[in-house]
Amino acid sequence: MKQYFIRQVAVSLVAGVTLWGCGNQLNVDPVQSVPEDKALQTASDVKGALVGCYDGFGSNNFASGAIQYTPDLLADDGEIRFNGTFATLLQYYQKAMLANNTQVRDTWTSAYSTINRVNNVLENLSKLDTDAERAAAEGEALFLRGTIYFNLVRLFARTWGDGDNTVNPGVPLVLKSTKAPITSEYSIPRNTVAQVYTQVIADLTKAETDLKNGKLTTDGVTAEGAAAILSRVYLAQGEYAKARDAADRVIQSGRYALEIEFGNVFNDYVNRKGVPSREAIFSSLITIQDGTNDLLTYYGASDYGGRGDIRVQSKHLAQYEQGDIRGDFFYQGSNGQVYTQKYIDQFSNVTQVRLAEMYLTRAEGNLLAGTQVGDTPLNDVNLIRERAGLAPLKTADRTAILKERKLELMFEGELLHDLRRTKRNISSSVAYNAPNLILPIPQREIDVNKLLVQNQGY
Amino acid sequence: MRKLLHLSFLLAALFTGFSVYAQDRFVTGKVTSSDDGTPLIGVSVQVKGTSAGVNTDANGNYRIAVPNNATLVYSFVGMQKQEVVVGVQTVINVELSSDAKELSEVVVTGYGQQIKRDVTGNIAKIKSSEISNVPVTSIESALQGRAAGVQINAGSGKLGQAIQVRVRGASSLSASSQPLYVVDGVPVTSADQSSFGGATNPMADINFNDVESVEILKDASAAAIYGSRAANGVVLITTKRGTAGKTNVSFNYQVGVSNPSRKVPFLNGKQYVDFYRMAAANRDRRLGDDPSDPNSYSAYMESFFEIYSLGTFNKGVNDALNNGTDFTKLLQSSNNITVQTDWQDQIFNKNAGSQQADLTFSGGNEKTSFFISGQYLGQTGTIIGNSFERFSGRINLDHKVSNVLSIGASMNLARTFNKRLSGDNSFSNPLQASALTPLTPAIDPETGLPVGTLPGNGGLPLYYNPVINKANARQSQAVVRNLTNVYAQINILPYLRFRSELGIDLLSQQEERYFNSKTYRVTGLTKGSGDNLFTGVANYSTNNYFNFDKTFAGLHALGATLGMSYQNSQTRANSVSGINFPSDAYRMMANAGTISAGSSEETNFRFLSYFLRANYKFNDRYLLSVSGRIDGSSRFGKDSKYGFFPAASAGWVLSEESFLKNSTFLSFLKLRGSYGLTGNAEIGNFPALGLYTSANYAGNGGQAPSQLANPNLKWETTAQTDIGIDFGFFNNRINGEVDYYIKKTSDLLLNVNVPATSGFLTQTRNVGNLENKGFELVINSQNIVGAFQWTTSLNLATNQNKVTNIQGQIIETGIQSMSRAVEGQPIATFFGREYAGVDPATGDALFYKNTTNADGTIDRSTTNVYSQAQRVVLGKGIPTLTGGITNTFSYKGIDLSIFFNGVSGNKINFYGVGQYSSANGIYEDNQTADQLKAWTSTNTKTNVPEARLYASNGNQASSRYLQDGSYLRLRTVTLGYNLPKALVSRWKLSGVRIYVTGQNLATFTNYKGWDPEVNSDDFTSSVAQGYDFYTPPQPKTLLAGINLKF
Repeated sequence: MKQYFIRQVAVSLVAGVTLWGCGNQLNVDPVQSVPEDKALQTASDVKGALVGCYDGFGSNNFASGAIQYTPDLLADDGEIRFNGTFATLLQYYQKAMLANNTQVRDTWTSAYSTINRVNNVLENLSKLDTDAERAAAEGEALFLRGTIYFNLVRLFARTWGDGDNTVNPGVPLVLKSTKAPITSEYSIPRNTVAQVYTQVIADLTKAETDLKNGKLTTDGVTAEGAAAILSRVYLAQGEYAKARDAADRVIQSGRYALEIEFGNVFNDYVNRKGVPSREAIFSSLITIQDGTNDLLTYYGASDYGGRGDIRVQSKHLAQYEQGDIRGDFFYQGSNGQVYTQKYIDQFSNVTQVRLAEMYLTRAEGNLLAGTQVGDTPLNDVNLIRERAGLAPLKTADRTAILKERKLELMFEGELLHDLRRTKRNISSSVAYNAPNLILPIPQREIDVNKLLVQNQGY
Repeated sequence: MRKLLHLSFLLAALFTGFSVYAQDRFVTGKVTSSDDGTPLIGVSVQVKGTSAGVNTDANGNYRIAVPNNATLVYSFVGMQKQEVVVGVQTVINVELSSDAKELSEVVVTGYGQQIKRDVTGNIAKIKSSEISNVPVTSIESALQGRAAGVQINAGSGKLGQAIQVRVRGASSLSASSQPLYVVDGVPVTSADQSSFGGATNPMADINFNDVESVEILKDASAAAIYGSRAANGVVLITTKRGTAGKTNVSFNYQVGVSNPSRKVPFLNGKQYVDFYRMAAANRDRRLGDDPSDPNSYSAYMESFFEIYSLGTFNKGVNDALNNGTDFTKLLQSSNNITVQTDWQDQIFNKNAGSQQADLTFSGGNEKTSFFISGQYLGQTGTIIGNSFERFSGRINLDHKVSNVLSIGASMNLARTFNKRLSGDNSFSNPLQASALTPLTPAIDPETGLPVGTLPGNGGLPLYYNPVINKANARQSQAVVRNLTNVYAQINILPYLRFRSELGIDLLSQQEERYFNSKTYRVTGLTKGSGDNLFTGVANYSTNNYFNFDKTFAGLHALGATLGMSYQNSQTRANSVSGINFPSDAYRMMANAGTISAGSSEETNFRFLSYFLRANYKFNDRYLLSVSGRIDGSSRFGKDSKYGFFPAASAGWVLSEESFLKNSTFLSFLKLRGSYGLTGNAEIGNFPALGLYTSANYAGNGGQAPSQLANPNLKWETTAQTDIGIDFGFFNNRINGEVDYYIKKTSDLLLNVNVPATSGFLTQTRNVGNLENKGFELVINSQNIVGAFQWTTSLNLATNQNKVTNIQGQIIETGIQSMSRAVEGQPIATFFGREYAGVDPATGDALFYKNTTNADGTIDRSTTNVYSQAQRVVLGKGIPTLTGGITNTFSYKGIDLSIFFNGVSGNKINFYGVGQYSSANGIYEDNQTADQLKAWTSTNTKTNVPEARLYASNGNQASSRYLQDGSYLRLRTVTLGYNLPKALVSRWKLSGVRIYVTGQNLATFTNYKGWDPEVNSDDFTSSVAQGYDFYTPPQPKTLLAGINLKF
């Protein structure tokens, strides 16, 4: 009896004790993510982080849709109609945004997420192998940061020269990467419009220099990409000579050429299996595997897999001269509505800036500076007109250049900015500096950061 | 050190009372029912104060070894417990009388069991008879309304979808508030594993006809033994096991039809044309535009009518518009409408069939017993394209190797196949068809196919026609589930045993989604698009524990449990996606012309726990229980890996006291109270780490930061107090319980908003507090006894949820951020602008300003400028009161059971539908019929603003779209007939029952949408509750069944 009992106890104890201490089983590492302290150790880690910056930049909430359709909807004066059911975009179209508009929020948060990615790269350049690599990586990263801040300040602040640039609030400038814990240090106020422009110019100028000897990322930006965006920045500031020079540097590089056929500029996947046009200076790449082209989503009819929301009205179509190829670059969807042909494919890249704009910028710059750097304003404008199948102009005044610019670049996100920088009103009731053309600082951001000042009217 | 302490406790426990281990002699006897004298099978006969016991056999006989001075306790489900002092008797025959409420029944408590009478915590028990054969797919649906304080919301009528269960309210903002599910001692995978179309429910893999009982551990005393995962309650599911005796064979078959529980009235074709002509004319008038101008909204709408009616209305208008000729002459009168499609008729199945067959065998001998079951269940959804099938087999085996060692195994293998629907917020969600123009013919006359199917006009109807999906899309989820566990139990001493359990829960899920070329309007792809995804969850766990159960000196009963458990869960998934299929005949990824995506993923978590519980009972009337669990988890920060979760409870059986013992009406009264800590660890697997993840671009591998670190992150802690009374009157014919609880949750696991300028949106932190409190009432009553019997069982519960502190965080979610966690308000508070109706003079929608005046008062004046109105608290999406009532009648062989359940106090947000379909004609979407009441110059007293095409006039998010969500639903009615024994035995059967059941036959509610039991799959979270987004309603089911017992 006693022996029997002892055996039971022994068995139980062995079982119990064996299972009692399962040891140090609780340290489980993630498999598909990497702890932050191991993520940026080698040169290839940094190169990967740089690729991640392009990924963030090319989000549909930023460069692959939002920074084009947002100003386009705001710029409308009856030339398009937004008949979609997304209240977010309808608010843009009606110029009646609310501070809790989720698309405004997503554009903002997407931008700053990428800026943090960029800042991480900039702080880890030393891990790259050569000075050449370091310069190239720095150039690419600064290009993206500068371009993001430029778009943010254009969308979220009063336009350059509307009041005092050194007083008008711009957007917060974040130039260092974020590390936990998130303390009050991370609640920062808006820098002034002037400060943001200074940073944008510094970033893009350094980027152009750094990239002179080549880029690091296969599908990355070139020095001319930085110069092209820089030309926009100078135009926005009314620095016409600088804008002219930046555009001229792009043209003179010889790296890009106008497409013979206007229609070939767009829809890269349909036209070239995804290879960007030779006219494209910088594109956010979309592949079948990766990226979303939100311009197709909203500009494309359901016949092409879009929502068919942005419909072109006869008021716009009437602006093209007889014979303008661009005036026929529209189609009627099966719902009877008219859409632009610029976006008819979901796998096509989103061109951020293209050569035709550089000719028009150089023309405007030369005209206003009274110079003929590169070529005459008339020749530059006529180059674009000829491609569109139009007879050359005899003289090119600013109105003619701006009209050409509008028709050439329509639905590519520049119209609003061109109207505002030239102080042309959107419509009889909406002045160029109307507060409802400026996006609200997202409510979630105001809620979490008391130092942020909301824009007028929200 | 901790280990050592446990060991010394264990040894102390082992050697206490060693000397009294002795057996004397045997007692035999027969147990019968006092009602009809029939033998009772499976009655538990136990030596009081010990765990030694046997069950009666198929003839009601038993044989048990007893020590000197023993008292035998006879207990059986549904019968009053009886105690007999053995004395010198060797044969004891006992008659048991039926018990109104089984205070003597055994309740499963987690690593043990206890007599209900002695329980000092709050445990709701649901028996198999209450849930078997309910025509639903998963056990939670069957439990709905059955237990006080357990609120269950199926969310939608889609089959196999995730079901929300809240035990005593939601206790978390960012982490899950679902309870822990434990099947036969093994924590099982219960969270959604699906990749598309809303969350699905792994619990639907379980055949709930196999379930013997469900115990829901509600208070801290009951649940703390499950430590860091118990704060949301614990659902213990115990499956049926065989008993010694004759082999029982049961076959059950039922067949039914389902229809949607409700349709919502929308405009017909004529109403649609008239309404939108008005909306367009109003817009033109306000813009000062001439309606006959080809650019006017009126012209647009007239052209729209022609296009979307496929030219059956307004023929020629578009040609005229394109040619610049006068289109107004071509306009037709709304009386000329030839097509009027009711789109809801196109997407609801009529009389969707379902069937279920169950075959079970159970029995055994003294050494070995078994339970074997098989089930086929097939349900067709009430929405086109939706169906659910389950094949399930189970073997539960128990074997006594010797008096010392018993072993056993349970094995369940099931396959479910779910033909799924798209998520609610998808154009291919069938219910979104309600918004399509009624002028559009359902079938394209040129092709004979559903309108919008190529080669017909693919741009029609207004939105994608979800009917196209039925023949051209496939969204399926096939799951093979294996729940297996084995145990060995060593009876070390009569009062001490050791049990070791090893459980494996394997879930293999194959999902397939394929949209062929005809669906291209939703995919944007002209040659088809497909995904194939595999997910495997391997969940291993082991429990090892000692149970001690002994009575000292006849007065002191001590029970104790001490043990450990370990769980390791690994989830692996991979997927491949393809496009460009050669033709619609192909759908496998092997056939895809382009592989568009591929992925493999893995994630793991582990728990290591030590637990202890001790129950002490003095003189059968004073009860005390303490428990504690030390829980370690891989999920938490390196600085807080382990937590301790203690609980204590006490009870006092007043009815044992002399001053109440002789009461004629009061038969039982127990006061009990408990307090303890539990935790919530459901926050994903690596929330504490700072992480980078892949961020690829154009075929280049890239990476980016994805998460901020928080090394201090730990579980949420819930401190719960519960006070309760268990009572019984008139020999327990009326019995029940009343409870009051307060659950205070601190260290909320919160995704705290951080400035987005940091590059991050949130960081998971332990911030804030919330509380739940409420009353629970359970009453069971035998109203009439005798040949005609009527019993009533009622449960009611209130829940007041309050977010007490979130440190000023603004946490908003839901459509247009209409839900918000607000301090001082319930977790799922609707927060937005308050609708003030319509300005009778202008037809403008008005909103209360609700701004604060300089003197601190609230400005209750109205404005027609939406943005000028301040957002305020508008109600809550979670109910205050929930309950269920079952009335059962029986007479001779006939029985009737009528079960209602209901909720009250919550609002439903119809905005998901209303912003398009009850929006007084802002878009071309068909409108709910109530929009006909829109303001006009002659109809100025209305709540519906003037219709204005493409201009917001009250369609913004506001209280206009919040409706009372209270409902009372006739959930289940069953009428059954047991054929007379005499007749049945002639067929060599032991029982035949035929029955009809109705499910959801009637719903009483003021809600105007499809179904007040709604939580849209694409919008629901802890904070966003009660959203309707064209969410399919529950089915209304009628079925007939037969049960044969051999």
